[in-house]
Amino acid sequence: MKDCLKKAAPYVMFAAAWVLILATFLLGERIKEQLSLLLFTLGGVLLGFGAVGIALSRIRMSPEQQKEYERSEHDERNVAIREKAAMSSWYWTLYMLWAVFMVIQIFVGGLWGVAVSVVIVLHCTFYMINIHRWNKKM
Amino acid sequence: MTNRIAELRKARKISQAELADGVDVTRQTIISLESGRYNASLLLAHKIAKYFGMTIEEVFLFEEEIP
Repeated sequence: MKDCLKKAAPYVMFAAAWVLILATFLLGERIKEQLSLLLFTLGGVLLGFGAVGIALSRIRMSPEQQKEYERSEHDERNVAIREKAAMSSWYWTLYMLWAVFMVIQIFVGGLWGVAVSVVIVLHCTFYMINIHRWNKKM
Repeated sequence: MTNRIAELRKARKISQAELADGVDVTRQTIISLESGRYNASLLLAHKIAKYFGMTIEEVFLFEEEIP
């Protein structure tokens, strides 16, 4: 059951993404601009995750390659390297996002400020999810 | 911390890949351990010592710094 859900998840995300994007275009100006932006952003994120998930599930590996891949995923040194790299890149990108946020707040403001805030939240969520996932694999 | 992994492995005519298979890590990790670039976790140290039929202290050498 769990495996079935895992396999279906990228396809569900991909379909949901198109529904959200299409809904944004179909509803057009009948909904608020903020809601439209939120739907489109969410659709874009889901589309990315879904497409990557589908592409990864299509990659066929021999049993030996599969075993090696699984081992490299659980290998404690690899996990440590990934965590270190993730933490480092997360810090740098967070600083850059904050810089963008400040510039937008000072010079532009409004909807773009909201959009960058959403990106910052997603950025932090992505990091937390990955740290949790890698800790579980270790 | 130093270790005797390379010495013990060569004495037993075991390849790095075989040792990696035996302790369920990648060959790159064995290479890093042998060259001293990476220190094993307690769990991996235990696995490696068990693989060679020795204690952790016999495989991994903890050198205390003399003040």
